[in-house]
Amino acid sequence: MSVTGAREEALASGPGAAPASGAPIRQSNLWKDAWGRYVRNKAAAIAGAVFVVVLLYCLIAPFASPHDPDAVNFALASQTPSLEHPFGTDKFGRDLFTRTALGGRVSMLIGFGATLAILLVGVIYGAISGFIGGRVDNGLMRFLDALYGLPYLPFAIITLAIIGRTNTWTMMIALSIASWFTTARIVRGQVLTLKENDYVRAAKAVGARWYRILGRHLLPNTLGVLIIAIFLELPGVILGEAFLSFIGLGISPPDASWGAMAQEGRTVFRSHPTAIIVPSVAIATLVLCANFVADGLRDALDPRTRET
Amino acid sequence: MLKFIVRRVFWTIPVLLVVIFLTFIMMRQIGGNPFRQSERAVPEAVQRNLEAKFHVNDPWYQQYAYYVKGVFTFDLGPSLVVRGRDVNDIVKTHFPKSIELGVYAFLFALVLGVPLGMIAALRHNTWVDYSAMFVSNVFHAVPSFLVATLLIYFVALKAGWVPTSGWTSWEHKILPSIALGFGPMALFARLVRGTMLETLQQDYVRTARAKGLRYRRVVGLHVLRNSLIPVVTAAGPLLGFIITGSFVIELIFNIPGIGQNYVDSISNRDYSVVMGLTVLLSVIVILANLVVDILYGILDPRTRDARS
Repeated sequence: MSVTGAREEALASGPGAAPASGAPIRQSNLWKDAWGRYVRNKAAAIAGAVFVVVLLYCLIAPFASPHDPDAVNFALASQTPSLEHPFGTDKFGRDLFTRTALGGRVSMLIGFGATLAILLVGVIYGAISGFIGGRVDNGLMRFLDALYGLPYLPFAIITLAIIGRTNTWTMMIALSIASWFTTARIVRGQVLTLKENDYVRAAKAVGARWYRILGRHLLPNTLGVLIIAIFLELPGVILGEAFLSFIGLGISPPDASWGAMAQEGRTVFRSHPTAIIVPSVAIATLVLCANFVADGLRDALDPRTRET
Repeated sequence: MLKFIVRRVFWTIPVLLVVIFLTFIMMRQIGGNPFRQSERAVPEAVQRNLEAKFHVNDPWYQQYAYYVKGVFTFDLGPSLVVRGRDVNDIVKTHFPKSIELGVYAFLFALVLGVPLGMIAALRHNTWVDYSAMFVSNVFHAVPSFLVATLLIYFVALKAGWVPTSGWTSWEHKILPSIALGFGPMALFARLVRGTMLETLQQDYVRTARAKGLRYRRVVGLHVLRNSLIPVVTAAGPLLGFIITGSFVIELIFNIPGIGQNYVDSISNRDYSVVMGLTVLLSVIVILANLVVDILYGILDPRTRDARS
């Protein structure tokens, strides 16, 4: 059953119901269906599991580890992986297993924060464009066309220069400022399609106000698309953070993100490649998983687009 | 067709103005008189002359007009830090290297990515398809600095086949081009596979087969040609990808290109160079989009009306 189908029935069964109790049984079936489709997709299921493992590792490892992530010990510097230090140590003798988890927290915080910012701007822009339609839509979309494909890195760098400070929060802003165009397009497309549905026409015909149509029918039905969009945007943002920090314009020591750790590792990679490989592989793992999860979610939440 | 092209070209002009405007406004936010006493000690009379020459005290819209005029006459303004040097000089010395790198990376991606996607599509749902797609997914996720570092470590340091850094002989150019081309290669492979699977199911393919044409000939003549159209459209966004990647790759391989200059200019707070290079990169992407759109219109007549 499609998202719209469930909604239509929800509307038919209780048009006067309060938003909080709007047809809960039908909706849970919809999400159950989607879940069933998702876990049957092996690649997506594995990727989702690995994603959760990486997430838990970043959250738990710093507490569980016997090593102080900031303890400098030159006697232990630049070790290769061992039982004591599963990922080895960096050039200061700090345990990379613990530090990678801490760096992952920063990377993921920036990643999810920037993704949410992208979604917020994208939803507002796309919803306005698609909902109003006509000339406004045309103008807003032409503006997007203008910005489409612009390299985000220079604009992220300029944004950081404007703010004048580089920390987790400013990185979120910098990485989202030139990255929301795709999401805005997707949301607009979805709203345009939904707008033509009979139940929206029906709502209009019975005199529902525009904010009710938008809030009750259009945006909730965009939810599936938005969940997919999270995992579509996340890889780009994670890589963007890594690039920025790697070229020395992002998170800088003593704070660590995966990008900053890779940058630190680069200075010694000739003698000790582990220090750059570990954070880079962490980035690649997360990005790879997010890509597969996005594909799986797309198939699960919108069966119409499924590949044959 | 002519109407479509003319319309599309005219649309580009306001787009350029908007993007230059946005960059201009952003750069102004960084603020401050570029000719601060502290950074460049000059007599007061000279200071006044400088300010007059560069319209520092004019209202912002006049400055914008001057700047736009400069951009359209291929004059991107002076450097604020290095005396007697303007942005055009920097572009002339460093940009060819970045273009060269980008072209090689693009070629690498094309030569490897397109066949990979084709093979995957023709062997759909076999282990060939799965492994090709897995490889391309991994390559798409791995940050380019890891690819670059590993290439340097194994090919340049351990094997000693090529130099580790620089941009002089052809041996220097192999590794950076491969490192930068990895991501786009994965993108091409997935793209070609997707469109080819779609094309293979078209009626005209079945007709050609029914007429008794050999499979090879059908694929070579009908399928491949129509499958490559989306590759053309991907070239626009890919340019942004390559620009972003060149920032990192130029840093790692110590290539004196635009990306490296950009990062240096940010560090030196040479904001007129930053603005000039940002505008240049944006204009290139916009013009590439224009060319791609027109090419797309020529290659696939169905898109003309929708896009004009």
